[in-house]
Amino acid sequence: MIKIENLQKNFGQNEVLSGITTEINKGEVVAIVGPSGSGKSTLLRCMNQLEELTSGTIWIDDQQLNDSKTNVMELRQKIGMVFQHFHLFPHKTVLENLIYAPMKVKGEGKEEAESKAHQLLDQVGLSMKADEYPKRLSGGQKQRVAIARALAMEPEYMLFDEPTSALDPEMVKEVLDVMKLLGTTGMTMVIVTHEMAFAREAADRVLFLDEGKLVEENSPSEFFNEPKTERAKAFLDKVL
Amino acid sequence: MNLDFTQFVPNIPYILQGILVTLKFVSVSAIVGFVLGTILALFKIGRVKILSWIADAYTSVFRGTPLILQLLLFYHATPQLTGYDISAFEAGVLSFGLNSAAYISEIIRAGIRAVDTGQNEAAAALGIPYRPMMKDIILPQAMKNILPALMNEFITLTKESAIVSVIGVFDIMRRSQIVAAEKFKYFEPLLIAGVIYYLLVMILTLAGKMVERRMSRSD
Ligand SMILES: Nc1ncnc2c1ncn2[C@@H]1O[C@H](COP(=O)(O)OP(=O)(O)O)[C@@H](O)[C@H]1O
Ligand SMILES: [Mg+2]
Repeated sequence: MIKIENLQKNFGQNEVLSGITTEINKGEVVAIVGPSGSGKSTLLRCMNQLEELTSGTIWIDDQQLNDSKTNVMELRQKIGMVFQHFHLFPHKTVLENLIYAPMKVKGEGKEEAESKAHQLLDQVGLSMKADEYPKRLSGGQKQRVAIARALAMEPEYMLFDEPTSALDPEMVKEVLDVMKLLGTTGMTMVIVTHEMAFAREAADRVLFLDEGKLVEENSPSEFFNEPKTERAKAFLDKVL
Repeated sequence: MNLDFTQFVPNIPYILQGILVTLKFVSVSAIVGFVLGTILALFKIGRVKILSWIADAYTSVFRGTPLILQLLLFYHATPQLTGYDISAFEAGVLSFGLNSAAYISEIIRAGIRAVDTGQNEAAAALGIPYRPMMKDIILPQAMKNILPALMNEFITLTKESAIVSVIGVFDIMRRSQIVAAEKFKYFEPLLIAGVIYYLLVMILTLAGKMVERRMSRSD
């Protein structure tokens, strides 16, 4: 469970998130939507402390993330992250991208890490690309490798920050399909996305952020059909 | 014009032996500069304020004063201050090594800075600690930016090394001056030295180009 309590985040004088309180339960798929600049990425990045909170608390299961006694590096092993721009390691092959962290961080043996990596590549439909360098992959393939790389650490949570926004339209589906499949396996997922159809179909819950506030929390069917708040209505009128 | 190279032919082997001296001097200085420069660069990008301040101050001083002054200081001040009778070669290596460390640390810092911050974030998100992240993720990528600039620094070092002749290192430069003084003729031996330096620099330049080409092929 990810439990966020009264989270506030400032960048200098700029208050980017305020009073965010919510819980993400084990096995849930949660979509975060909202206008650009509303703080979606920042909220997501607070969940693995790529950004430090200004105030408030975040618990990952029974561990408080923003506590000086918590080993953040260790906690991050439980939380995979997928970025808009992939951030694969360009000097490593696909396979090396997948086995590096499990071997270095979790101390897995090479054989174990490789066999798991091959399995994951199979799962994302890229087993034939194991020995390619990222440069030779399409955007959609890169993002699927990035998902596999995060999964190789066997995380309990997966964070996605607009995983399809940097892709050509024809590649969006292959990535979303992988994510949908992952959702059905019971992975806990938090997904910042502009793909409303995907959010509607794959998410258990939608969080709507506007100007740094959690304006609405709702089931997808209610959020998209009869949103509770005016701001959500106005947002949906623009994007749907 | 009364140029006469033939009378210098017997002296050419003597001058050529200076190549070894120069190369030895340059490579030892380069190693000192590279090792110290790497450490300084890590201080600069690190999170320990006092270390990055020290590294910045170091760089500022060594870049802000003439190299020949640093050379003479090390050569003359070391015996005076410590009682250690420093040889010309040691003083040369010390001043050139410390001096180029300042430049090399900037080269490495810039090369690391140029690596996409997304790489740091991806590594952090995977729980990869700072040291292995630096060693296995960031530095290999930074090398692409660093190597060409480093090659330039070594070329500069090779040319500037002629300055150590003033404290009596028997390098190419000093040997040609000695020959010149013997015969009271300056132009020919200096020209010979010039040709040797130029060829050395050209060889280094070519080697640098080859390294660059190999690196760009790998990506
Ligand atoms: N590193 C940063 N430094 C300063 N301001 C930032 C930084 N990251 C984001 N912001 C600001 O925080 C606000 C929210 O950004 P972000 O979380 O990226 O929004 P979203 O992902 O919803 O588009 C924006 O106004 C943005 O300019
Ligand atoms: Mg964003």
